[in-house]
Amino acid sequence: MGSAEFETDFWKDEQLRRVWDDIIPGQPRKTLPYTLTLDAIQKYCRAVGDLHPLYFDAAYAEASPYKGLIAPPAIHILLMFACTPADDWMRSPGTINAGQSWSYNMPARPGDVIRLEARALDKFIRKDRLFVIHDNVFFNQNDEVICSGRGQTIRPA
Amino acid sequence: MSSAYDNIEPGLRIEGTPFAPTRESIREFCEASLDFNPLHLDDEYMKGSFGKTRFGGIIMHGMNNFGVINKMLTDWLYPQGGIHRRLETRWKAPVRPGDTITPTAVVTARKVTKRSRFATLDVAVRNQRGELVASGEAMVEFPLSA
Repeated sequence: MGSAEFETDFWKDEQLRRVWDDIIPGQPRKTLPYTLTLDAIQKYCRAVGDLHPLYFDAAYAEASPYKGLIAPPAIHILLMFACTPADDWMRSPGTINAGQSWSYNMPARPGDVIRLEARALDKFIRKDRLFVIHDNVFFNQNDEVICSGRGQTIRPA
Repeated sequence: MSSAYDNIEPGLRIEGTPFAPTRESIREFCEASLDFNPLHLDDEYMKGSFGKTRFGGIIMHGMNNFGVINKMLTDWLYPQGGIHRRLETRWKAPVRPGDTITPTAVVTARKVTKRSRFATLDVAVRNQRGELVASGEAMVEFPLSA
């Protein structure tokens, strides 16, 4: 999937999305494969002010222990939405990211075809707010784990 | 000959690069992360109260904090052969256009395991008023070959 196909209006498919009541802890959610390009990596890097040569300088990266350009560990920030369909509850407008934890196994690289396995793990009510705990694992085309993370969101009422 | 890991002691402090979000940079982060949640785009939507919050206007992505923290850690680790293995964060306060945030970290412990060497760090991000906007914990690895 290329960025030209990505729906940026998060309101557009609002009626199709499940609400907190519909979320089933343990149920895998549908995801989309995503080819990570060098352009997308570098766009993310510029957005957070990270211009490290491992992400931009091919000659530097090839001479490094990484033997080539890589993406920064936090590239999952892009991968999360890149691999999430427009009608998924993760894209509900007003969803609040309450915190995340991520573990890093190996770097993603330009040209990797990324696969996401994701599910809600838990949901609860605290201080009158609706919480969901969700789990996400990103794999490359060799079925190697790139990174895995767990997040907590507060869902719109 | 000492290794980089020998110099990692509890109390060692790291300071990252300040980051100053603007409306334009928040838009840029939307484009780069594909997160177009109206929390970050729509002032009219944000003027109301939802989910028991009252942000009053667009805010920076929480994950922008995450990216800034990650940069601080990798800038410190790469030259030493270290690897960033884990980061856990909690958002404490919204960051708005016009703020400046600075990440810091302090080594809290070292742990040599059966096959490798690790360190843990407490992480904090503060704005220009010294207010805590994000906190967390990081884990880094220094392979025996480093």
